[in-house]
Amino acid sequence: MTEPDALALLAVFLIPLGTALLLMVVPSTERSLLIGITALSGFAMFIISVMVFLQYDFEGAQFQGVRSWTYMENVGLLGKDGIQLKVGIDGIAAAMVLLTGIVILPGTWVSWKIQDRMKDFFILLYILTAGVFGTFVMLDMFVWFLFYEMALLPMYLLIGVWGSTRKEYGAMKLMIMLLAGSILIFTAIFAVYAEAGLGTFDLTRLYGVQFDEDFQKIYFPMIAIGCGILAALFPFHSWSPDGHASAPTAVSMLHAGVLMKLGAFGIIRLGFQMLPEGGEFWAPGLMVLGITAALYGAISALRQTDLKLMTGFSSVSHMGYVMVGLGTLNVIGWSGAVLQMFAHGIMTALFFLLIGGMYDQAHNRDIPNFSGMARQMPVWTVFFVIAGLASLGLPGMSGFVAELHIFIGAFRAYPLVGGLAVLTAAITATYLLRMFSQAFFGEFNERWEHLRDITFAEKCGATVLAGTILLMGLWPSPWVNRISTTIAETIPLVTL
Amino acid sequence: MGMEQVWILPAIPMAVFVLLGLFNAYIPRRGDFIAVLGMSLVVLLVGLVLLDFQGSFSDHEFHPPAGDNTYAFDWLNIGNGFFVIEFSTYVDAITMVMLPVVSFVALMVLVYSIGYMHGEKRYGWYFATLSFFVAAMLLLVISGNLLQLYLAWEGVGLASYLLIGFYWERQSAAEAAKKAFITTRVGDVGLLIGIILLWKATGTFDIQGLINAAHAGAFSETYLTISLIFLFLGAVGKSAQFPLHVWLPDAMEGPTPVSALIHAATMVVAGVYLVARMLPMYELAPIAQDVVLYTGLITALLAATMGLVANDIKRVLAFSTVSQLGFMFVALGVGAVTAAMFHLFTHAFFKSLLFLGSGSVIHATDQQEVEGLGGLWKKMPITAATFIIGSLALAGIPIFAGFFSKDEILHALMDSGPSWAYLVLAGTALLTAIYSTRLVLLTFFGKTRNVESYNHAHESPRIMTAPLCILAVLATVSGFFAIDQVGKLLGFEGGIGYLVYPVGGHPHEFKLYVLFATVATITALVGLIIGWVYWHGNAQRANAAKEWAPEIHQLLLRRYYMDELYQGIINKVILGAAAVIAWFDKRVVNETGVDGGAQLINFLGWRLKFTQTGRIPNYVLAMAVGVLAVVVVAVSNS
Repeated sequence: MTEPDALALLAVFLIPLGTALLLMVVPSTERSLLIGITALSGFAMFIISVMVFLQYDFEGAQFQGVRSWTYMENVGLLGKDGIQLKVGIDGIAAAMVLLTGIVILPGTWVSWKIQDRMKDFFILLYILTAGVFGTFVMLDMFVWFLFYEMALLPMYLLIGVWGSTRKEYGAMKLMIMLLAGSILIFTAIFAVYAEAGLGTFDLTRLYGVQFDEDFQKIYFPMIAIGCGILAALFPFHSWSPDGHASAPTAVSMLHAGVLMKLGAFGIIRLGFQMLPEGGEFWAPGLMVLGITAALYGAISALRQTDLKLMTGFSSVSHMGYVMVGLGTLNVIGWSGAVLQMFAHGIMTALFFLLIGGMYDQAHNRDIPNFSGMARQMPVWTVFFVIAGLASLGLPGMSGFVAELHIFIGAFRAYPLVGGLAVLTAAITATYLLRMFSQAFFGEFNERWEHLRDITFAEKCGATVLAGTILLMGLWPSPWVNRISTTIAETIPLVTL
Repeated sequence: MGMEQVWILPAIPMAVFVLLGLFNAYIPRRGDFIAVLGMSLVVLLVGLVLLDFQGSFSDHEFHPPAGDNTYAFDWLNIGNGFFVIEFSTYVDAITMVMLPVVSFVALMVLVYSIGYMHGEKRYGWYFATLSFFVAAMLLLVISGNLLQLYLAWEGVGLASYLLIGFYWERQSAAEAAKKAFITTRVGDVGLLIGIILLWKATGTFDIQGLINAAHAGAFSETYLTISLIFLFLGAVGKSAQFPLHVWLPDAMEGPTPVSALIHAATMVVAGVYLVARMLPMYELAPIAQDVVLYTGLITALLAATMGLVANDIKRVLAFSTVSQLGFMFVALGVGAVTAAMFHLFTHAFFKSLLFLGSGSVIHATDQQEVEGLGGLWKKMPITAATFIIGSLALAGIPIFAGFFSKDEILHALMDSGPSWAYLVLAGTALLTAIYSTRLVLLTFFGKTRNVESYNHAHESPRIMTAPLCILAVLATVSGFFAIDQVGKLLGFEGGIGYLVYPVGGHPHEFKLYVLFATVATITALVGLIIGWVYWHGNAQRANAAKEWAPEIHQLLLRRYYMDELYQGIINKVILGAAAVIAWFDKRVVNETGVDGGAQLINFLGWRLKFTQTGRIPNYVLAMAVGVLAVVVVAVSNS
């Protein structure tokens, strides 16, 4: 196997960034040109991220495709390699890059039907995408944070301008809560920089520093909460259901699908990998918050009638599993956490794609208003059921692979938490199947006779996502090998 | 095709599923013939596997050449073998009982469905889903490890969900499908926990590996007991045992052939199969085994009493299935794996026969309630004759299959169980005979209670009656497999008792104890007579009994109010808790915490703005106070 090339890692975030710049000079009246450019760009991102994932050699070095370009060094407080553009991925980042590539492809397709200021929408969407890709491949803490913020800020405009139902409220709440998290991360980054005294933000060098234990105990939770807000960590989750509910389709997809994983990724990259003793100290706490979120989100979802709010709480619940997995501190649980990040990303993207497709026609998302929709929208229903089954952890689908690892990891660490986690899966089945039988089955409500089945673009997008769900569910080795090897061999804190 | 290649068996219907699921609209006849041909091929291959199996059978013992009956590859592997999930198959006598049952009944049901489902909407989808079910079921019975079994276990559950909800335009069907899935899912929580607990102690999911580890003392008895009870929860859900039996009667919303295949002959016996497979471990944990025994006993009795009063022909059969599954668990509870598997074997034939027969009646009359039936034997002689054969087998009348297997269970219970348990189960057998007779009398004899549907009733087409006749033959003769001479004739000396027996134990020799068999026969006949006395003609006596004890009748009719109880728990407790949490999230976390925080800052900003008066003297005063404060602090520190 070959290593992924550093240029490919550059390309994944330069393509969306370049596309965004290019779009700025295209007149907004030229819709077909806009569609052509974004189609090409989306496809290129998809192909490159698949390539990067496949090329990542899980038997090779920890970070692959590493290359750096110095931005500033030996200036003021900065020493050698002060701030650099340094790219490189490990198995975890490889899976996350793949996730982003897979989600942005249908995300692009379904956004072509936006009538209002499509050009501006794509500019912001692609800046956001560049931020996400950048965060996953950066190995310099300073630039990492730069890209992290780049992924967050466009959300405000995307929701505020193109959103629906209480969009200003949703956008404002989301932005303020996430920025509060950023402040914590920002503080922690500089504290770590100062404490290490190396004069560099290079993560690989910082990983080698043995920080004082008390220092770690103080700053680990800062990073965990700061990033955790983005991962909808209980009790800082309340931006998430409202934010999802008001965001436009492609933004919900990217947001729930990828952005929330950025938070969990940050907890791993900056938290556990840099401050392992702090992580060890706080892991039980993370686990308690995780299992609380899992149960809390699932039980709240039972009472939701808005389809998007239900999915939002379901996301809170599923991201709770990720925290449970990280809290186990064993390889199986951690592999489960990362697998769950991937699996949940794909299935939530599929959920939001479908909900968006229906909302655009019906302008209604209230579950009790629907009945027997399977008659009017059979293909749509099939895809929705697939996403739902993946979400409730049906074996043979991606969700089960991830959840199984988390359950087993949790049983190894704390059997009670493991038991509760398995129970949560049953509650998930309850709220999803209640929704199915209410909205999809039963007598058809004639009010929705004007609705049409899934559009061609949505069908293609849903096929890509559903295909990934089944592929990972039936043949998880490509994911498990890359992720578990990285965890087992490069994160000493996490043991077998 | 030998025992190593059994993985081909589920692959065939799976391929049919993919083909029909995606492309049935482009295939003539929506591809029903492909499903039937695929299934015929599976039956044929099962025959070949059976031959191979017999080849490794010598001197009543199963001696496969090393590795000949297993096949495995790594599905995923973490930490170089620390955590491995395999795809593995394993064939032994228990598998060899299951494979013919599943494949043969599936073939019968598919053929029958061509007639029964004729002209239905989603005809192609029906055959696709049914093929998916068979694939998952075959995978389940050849699984060599528990995790793969769990995968298949959920697969059959999904198929069951889709097929119960096949007529999803009916709200009741959608609700029934949901209920079935969620109820079994509750059991599956236990199953998965059990599997993980077993793995935690041994590091393997492999069934034979676990059994060996258990015998080598890898578990403490308490740990093993707890794990196995969790595991049994899965069986309770899937096999509709008390207290998770509530979904099976409702599952009758699905098309009748589906009820015959999934909810009588195959899927619901998955729990029995699981416990039978793991029985060597249950024997090491007597408390867990007792749980199996008493769960089976309670279920058998309760379900039989409910079957006594149910008015929907399919529901009577559903209660009967629940009750008969209870019999099988009783047998497992006393360690009689032979009796359990034997009853599973015969029950599959006579119960699928009864269901298909009831389907034939429903097909002809569009009536499901016994209120709308009666006197049909003249109109539908073949259906009536085969249905009666099935009922006699169910009632346990000699020469019919159920007699042999039920006798085995009762005998095993008498040998190794408490004597009161024997009396309870014998009483249940009596009830079985009564409700079977009642069902036959109300459906096929007496005066019709719905003239209109009676008048246009007709015998079903041959494609439906042919499977009925074949199954009727099997319902008659499949009990003979227990007899040594019959076994010898078919190539396995000693009959089924020499085929399936506890690992490390002795082959089970089938003997007809004359006295014991006489008692059983008399019990069954008494049941028949009671049934006839009460329900022949216009069922006057039955109505009188109903009025004599209306409370009991109502209690049974309402199924001991368990559905109401569960619905109440869901509505009040679970949804109540959900309402509280949703309220907490909305009011406390969101409006108080988040929005409240924002409002607090807004309020502070409003208050503080009044300090910005715009008057120079105010600012100068503030500066002066500040300077003074700095000086004071500096001086006091020095």
